[in-house]
Amino acid sequence: MRKWLVRLAALGVALLVAGQGQLALAQSPSAGKKIVRVGATQAVDSMNPFLAVRLVSTSIHRWMYGFLTVPDSKTLQPSPDLAESWTTSDDGLTWTFKIRETKWSDGRPVTAEDAAWTFNKIMTDDAAKTANGPAVENFETVTASGQELTIKLKAPQASMLDNPIPIMPKHVWEKVTNLADFTGDEYPAVTSGPYIAVEHQKDQFVKLKANPGYWRGAPKIDELQVVFYDNPAASIIGLKNGEIDLIGRLNPPDFQALQGDANIVQWNKQGRRAAYLQINHGATTTDDKPVGDGHPALKDQKVRQALHYAIDKQKLVDEVQNGLAKPADGSIVPPMYTDFFWEASGDTKVTYDVAKANKILDDAGYKKGADGVRTMPDGGKKLEFRFSIHTDTPIEDKLGEYLAGFFKEIGITLTTKKVEPSKFSEETGVTGLFDIAISGWSVNPDPEEVLATHLCSRRPTPAGEGGGTESFYCDDTFEKLYKEQLKELDRPKRAELIKQMQERLYTDAPVIAIYYPNDLEGYRKDRIKSITSIPEADGILYGGSSFWPFYSLEAVEQPASASAEGGSNTGLIAGVVGGVVVLGLAGFFLMRRRKSVADDRE
Amino acid sequence: MTAPLETAEPAAAQAAAGPARLGTLRYALSKAGGALLSIGMVIVGTFFLFRLLPGDPVRNLAQGRNMTPEQLDLERHRLGLDLPLFDQFLNFIGQTLRFDLGASYEYKRPVLDLIGDRVGATLLLAGTSLVIAVSLGLWQGMRAGWRHGSRFDRFSTGTSLVLWSVPTFWLGLLLLLVFSSWFQWFPSRGIQDVDAPDGFGYVLDVAHHMVLPCIAMVGVLYAQYLLVMRSSLLDEVGQDYITTARAKGLRDDEVRKRHAVPNALLPTVTLVFMRIGFVVGGAVTVEAVFSWPGLGELFYAAIRVPDFTLMQGTFMLIAVSVILMNTLADVVYHILDPRVRSA
Repeated sequence: MRKWLVRLAALGVALLVAGQGQLALAQSPSAGKKIVRVGATQAVDSMNPFLAVRLVSTSIHRWMYGFLTVPDSKTLQPSPDLAESWTTSDDGLTWTFKIRETKWSDGRPVTAEDAAWTFNKIMTDDAAKTANGPAVENFETVTASGQELTIKLKAPQASMLDNPIPIMPKHVWEKVTNLADFTGDEYPAVTSGPYIAVEHQKDQFVKLKANPGYWRGAPKIDELQVVFYDNPAASIIGLKNGEIDLIGRLNPPDFQALQGDANIVQWNKQGRRAAYLQINHGATTTDDKPVGDGHPALKDQKVRQALHYAIDKQKLVDEVQNGLAKPADGSIVPPMYTDFFWEASGDTKVTYDVAKANKILDDAGYKKGADGVRTMPDGGKKLEFRFSIHTDTPIEDKLGEYLAGFFKEIGITLTTKKVEPSKFSEETGVTGLFDIAISGWSVNPDPEEVLATHLCSRRPTPAGEGGGTESFYCDDTFEKLYKEQLKELDRPKRAELIKQMQERLYTDAPVIAIYYPNDLEGYRKDRIKSITSIPEADGILYGGSSFWPFYSLEAVEQPASASAEGGSNTGLIAGVVGGVVVLGLAGFFLMRRRKSVADDRE
Repeated sequence: MTAPLETAEPAAAQAAAGPARLGTLRYALSKAGGALLSIGMVIVGTFFLFRLLPGDPVRNLAQGRNMTPEQLDLERHRLGLDLPLFDQFLNFIGQTLRFDLGASYEYKRPVLDLIGDRVGATLLLAGTSLVIAVSLGLWQGMRAGWRHGSRFDRFSTGTSLVLWSVPTFWLGLLLLLVFSSWFQWFPSRGIQDVDAPDGFGYVLDVAHHMVLPCIAMVGVLYAQYLLVMRSSLLDEVGQDYITTARAKGLRDDEVRKRHAVPNALLPTVTLVFMRIGFVVGGAVTVEAVFSWPGLGELFYAAIRVPDFTLMQGTFMLIAVSVILMNTLADVVYHILDPRVRSA
């Protein structure tokens, strides 16, 4: 037996020696290159931009493809991308774009044909609608002539320049016969943006190479890699031990775990998300018939306003979000969008004031019973509300406890109701089976999308088909303002209308914004020399609606020897690997041998 | 269906060698028939089981994006969810019998392709872990059982029970924290480095990535082999034939190897085969903690959407492999142990 083990060990050593040599040799391809690795806690769903919906995929596509316009890196206003310039007809229905004369990464020229093909494909092929169907819903026709693209709309649409559709190379993609089944995994991809995808190992990573012919100039790094983690805790470890160089969209505990690491920059800026309470103020379907089981008291605007006064938003920020958020003194558009953000002031502003909340309820006739819980003015039903939260988000449990505490002060009972994530949007957006629910929305540079979630038409149909409402809201004032802002092509005037819409939501309180979570990210400064956020002042790195941060970033050159985490430890690592393998084999042979020896001896 | 065959068996077993082999064949066939029946029930059960899950898959697919009712209808039609339940069921059965598991809602690719992408990674990780866990468990269980009450026994039984009770994801995170974060010996994710070398370097790279998930899986798995081996060896230790063997003057080692262990090994054979069935499913938690791109992780991702077709596909694959392996275990057991044959 000892002989066997000796042989095994010898084999192991031989393999290790051979392997180390190989490893050192083989690592040279990445040496000397400027590579940046971005961690992501979700995998790419599809590399076909017509199908991809996950944030990681749309981010990668933003780094690969050009758009008509992109948000300006300073002001976030629409600025030229593949469309050099554009004009609008007086009625706002005809938009003419001049497409930039540049080249696809395979050398073919970019023309208006490409853009027209992309939009027409989505308008005519149902499979192509998957990712961005609503973005062309208002398009009547799209035509091209040379570098000139003409889009005729069915109705005026001021958010036209926030179009989220990447322009695809017609000569490559028109060959795809069945778009629904096409994964887009053909490399190198043909792109017109700063990067070219060159490799995609499913559920593991995507490798992008700098596009040397990019019209803004090639990126300052050679390679951008996106590495997937199933597990956020592991991604933090990956950042700390240098397997990745940057990770965005962290939650407060993971962000705080980065503290104290001298090589890591903690990026803590205002975010693009608003967290709010959705209040069942009398859910109805599109034919105005009531739906669901909301508490009748919540139909009263006064009760909703009293709830608003009873919430100590600063305390929620400090204790639920660990201070990594901003209390909401506005509505559903977060303050990072300075042009569109509306902030309450003066008499309109709701500040934490329990006495005022109690007074509102007293005046409205909601009397406290012997147990301290208020009842409806008719003396019937008690003011006992349910708070719907997701089963898989522990932080919402904590939020529920705090809210229950606040509402107890004004004689209202709040009990937490945990809902399966897969059932959540149905109960809070279709069937109306809730009183108060946690909700939130990540807002784009143009807030039209989030505003539209509070339109009458978004309520479920009588047949129970959800339309994507975030509140079951249906309000004449709001509808009117929405229609006006759609037609208003003057940005400051439009912003004014959009602010009025937020004010309406704030005072009528079908939703109550509680805080704006910060954008929490981390990156290694020994690997990333500089990175510019979007917007440039205090903005977002990963997950913003722009290619800018990952185009502008500069990397520290990797040492010409082996890659940082590989080299010095290789021997040790290989030793442990070998050890495990040898142990396993030894155990196996031990079993086998004992039996055969026994045969020999007896 | 199986009953008449089984009653016929003792007669066959007592006959000459030829008919005995025939008996084994008939036994195997009857088991295979049973397995087919079970698989059929799994297929039917799967369909209805996954229709009971809460949530509208189309709405969940939207992932918070705005979709018009027309678009939702379109998606529903594309996925065949607008048909009556019974028609959906017939389609499902028909497709399954043609080995068409449908296309994943989320990945928009055939489920069978997705499974094909993943199955290698899972077999590698789970297979290696199983081999190590079985070897380690049986070896320790053998020693512990033979030297019952010894320090080795107490130590190994104690250790394995602690590891057995530890939640897998917690053990995985602990391993990550210690060996990936503090010592930085091992990578924190995946099956290979993004810039993995080719050739033998690639093999080493994968092995390097596999160490931590493998330890986590072995840590949780090996206790059951140890305990089963230990207890079945304990059963044998007091038997008369052991005393006889000792009386023949055999050395202690010989008694154990030649007499006790072969008899004690039988229950563990069943256990090993059953585990092989589960190996295909992978260890969902281990794969999720270490971002190991295997079937378990795929299943986990499918549940979150929920991606009906993908869940159905992976679930059926796991169920079918467990059934097949159990059947195989029955047959192997039958061949290995004459007592089963004649009983």
